Amino acid sequence: MKAPVRLHMNEMPYAAPEGVVSAAREGLAHLHRYADGEEMQVLKELVAETSGTDARRVVLSPGSDILLRELVYLFSRGRNVMVPSPSFFSTIQAAKHTASRITSLRLFPPRFDLDPDMILELVREPSLVIIDNPNNPTGRPLLDRPMVESLLGNPDVLLVIDEAYHGFFPETFADMVQQHRNLAVTRTLDKIYSLAGARIGYMVAGDAFLEPFSLIPVLLPQASLYAAVEAMRNPEYVSVNVARIIQERDRMTEALRRLNAVVYPSSANFLLVETGQDDIAPRLRERGVLITDLSNQMAPGYVRVSIGSREENDIFLDAYEKINA
Amino acid sequence: MKRKIGLIVNPVAGMGGSVGLKGTDGDMGRRSREMGARPVTPFRTADLLSALKCREEIEFFAAPGPMGADYVHDLGVDITEVGSIGAETTARDTIDIAGCMRGLGVDLIIFVGGDGTARNMCDAVGLDVPVVGVPSGVKVFSPVFSTSARAAASLVDAFVAGSDLIEQEVMDIDEDIFRQGRLAARLYGYMKVPRVAGMLQGEKRPSTSSASSEANKKEIAGAVLREMDEETLYLLGPGTTVKAVADEIGVPKTLLGVDAVYGRALEGRDINEKEILDLIARFPKRKIVVTMLGGNGFIFGRGNRQFTPEVIRQVGRENIIVVGEKDKVHKVNVLRVDTGDTGLDDQLCGFIRVWIGYNEDMIMKVVS
Repeated sequence: MKAPVRLHMNEMPYAAPEGVVSAAREGLAHLHRYADGEEMQVLKELVAETSGTDARRVVLSPGSDILLRELVYLFSRGRNVMVPSPSFFSTIQAAKHTASRITSLRLFPPRFDLDPDMILELVREPSLVIIDNPNNPTGRPLLDRPMVESLLGNPDVLLVIDEAYHGFFPETFADMVQQHRNLAVTRTLDKIYSLAGARIGYMVAGDAFLEPFSLIPVLLPQASLYAAVEAMRNPEYVSVNVARIIQERDRMTEALRRLNAVVYPSSANFLLVETGQDDIAPRLRERGVLITDLSNQMAPGYVRVSIGSREENDIFLDAYEKINA
Repeated sequence: MKRKIGLIVNPVAGMGGSVGLKGTDGDMGRRSREMGARPVTPFRTADLLSALKCREEIEFFAAPGPMGADYVHDLGVDITEVGSIGAETTARDTIDIAGCMRGLGVDLIIFVGGDGTARNMCDAVGLDVPVVGVPSGVKVFSPVFSTSARAAASLVDAFVAGSDLIEQEVMDIDEDIFRQGRLAARLYGYMKVPRVAGMLQGEKRPSTSSASSEANKKEIAGAVLREMDEETLYLLGPGTTVKAVADEIGVPKTLLGVDAVYGRALEGRDINEKEILDLIARFPKRKIVVTMLGGNGFIFGRGNRQFTPEVIRQVGRENIIVVGEKDKVHKVNVLRVDTGDTGLDDQLCGFIRVWIGYNEDMIMKVVS
C-alpha cells in the first residue's frame, strides 16, 4: 500500500542534508555511551548564538513539548495557568491538580487574535501565561513587543512564549530573556531544521525559570545531539527550505480559495482552513491524505493542513477538489 | 432597477417565550395572549427595517396589516400590499401570501417568525425564491435564520449588492414533545439565503450524553456549588449542563424552563417573566446561571426568553454565570445574545468567563 501523504504533523517535507544525516550516523557509533557534556555545551552555545543570549540561559530537552510539561509542573502551583484556545498544549491538563485555575483564552474568527486589555485584566492574580507565537493551529501571531513588555512588567506573571515555528515567522522574543527574569522562550529543531525525528527542543530563559531546571540533568540521545550540532553549524539549507515552504503556502492558499474554502493568513508551515464540511478529514484519509481535524477544539469544518512538498500538496489539492466536485 | 423584496411577519411568533410556553404553534398563540404575552415581532421588524441600508434600492411587497404593511408604511418607501388576512392570522396566510409573492416575481422574501413560520415559507416557495429569516420565535432551530434582526438587514443589503446564495436547512421541531422536555428535530427542507460569513446561525446541536460529558457537567456543577452563596437567589436557565447544577444542589430542574433556587431549596419551578420579576423584587441578591446553545452559541434569546430584557437588566451582567461543557464550548467561536433589545445586547457584548470544569474556564467574546 502506498504511504499516506503526511500533512497532519507540520513536519518539513524535505530531508536534512547528507552532512546532518552522516553526523547522526556518527552519533550512532556511540550508542553505548551517554552523551558527552562537552558536546552538549557546544549545542548550548550554538543555540545561544542564534537566540541572542548566553549559553547559561539555555536548557536543552528531547522535544519542546517535554520542556513545556516541565514548566507546567514546576511553575503552575498556586497560579492561574493561561493558554490560547485553540492550541496544542496537551500537557496543560497536567496543571489541573496544581494550578489555582486553568483559563483558556478563546481565539475567534476572522482575526483569531488576543485582546491585550483582556489579558492584562486577567493577570491581576499570579499567573503562568503560555502563548504560542504564531499560534498553532491558526497560524496567527498573537504577541507584539508592547504587549509582551506590559505582561512582563507585572512581577506576578511568568510568561512562556513557544516559538516552535520560529524561522517561518521572523519576530522573536528570545533576546528579551537577558533583561526579563520572568520570560522563557521555547523552540524546537523539529521544524525548520528538518529534525522532527531527532526530537531536540530548547528553552532560553530569564532567571526566574533557570534554577529549578539546573536541578534536572538532561542528556540528549547521541544521534540527535550529533545531528543537531551539525545542523546548527551549517544552517544554509534552512533558509532555502523555508522559502520553498512559504512559496508553496501561498500557492496552496490561492488554490484552496479557488475551491471555495476559507483560508486564514498563516505565519507558519500550515494553514487553517474552514471547509464547511464536518467529515473532510476522514474523506481525505480514504484517499491517502492525512490532515488534522480540529473538531475537538473548534467549530465543525475547521482543519489544519501542513504545507508539504509540491508533489504532496498537489495530491492533497486533487483529492480535495474531487471530494468537492 | 429596484429589487422586489417581500415582507411577511408572523405577528404571534415568539409570544410564548416570556410566559414560559415553548412555542405558538396551533392553539398556543391564543393561550400565550391569554397569559398576558406581548407581541415580539413588531420590535424585530422595526430593528430590521431601521438597520437596512439599501432601502432606496428596494420596492417593498408586504403582507397586509400586522403581517407586514403596518411596519413599512412609516418608512415612506414604495409598497405593494399582497393578499388578504382575517382578524386572526394563521399559518395558511403565510403560505398563501408567500405563494402570491412568488407569482409576482419577488426577488427575495424577508420573513419574521420562528421555525413554524420557516416551515410555512418552505412549503410556499422552497428553493424558488431566496429568503432572509429574522429570528423571532420561541424555537429558532433552523440554520436558515440569521443570527439577529440586524444581521438579517446585512443579509438583505448583501443580496441587493449581488451576494451569492447558499442552501440552508429548515428544521422541524415537534412542539408537543419539546414541551415535555425533549428535543426531537428532523430536517424539513431547504431554502436559499444570501451567503455572508457569520450572519447565519449554525444548526443547534443536541447535547451529548457520553460518560466524559456527564463527568464534565458534574465537575462544572461542583464548581458552581462551591461558589454558591446561601443568600443569593439563583435563576437556573434551561439545558442539561444547568440541570447538572440543580442535581448537585439536590433540587428538581425543568429541562427547558427556568427554575429558581434560594438557600439550596427550590423557590420557583418553570417560572415565566412575571414570576421571575416577582422573585427579583423579593431577593436583593440574585444571579442567572445559563448555558449556551450548542452549535450557535446563544446564551440569551433562544430557548430561554423567560429571561426578558427587563429580567436581565435587573440581575445585571456581572451576575450572569455562563456554564458550558468543554465539547460544546469548543465548537462555538463566539457567544451570542439576541434579547430583542439592541441596547441591552450591546451592554452584554464583550468578554465573559465561561465555567468549563472544576477549576477551568474559558474567556469568550459575546457578540450580538
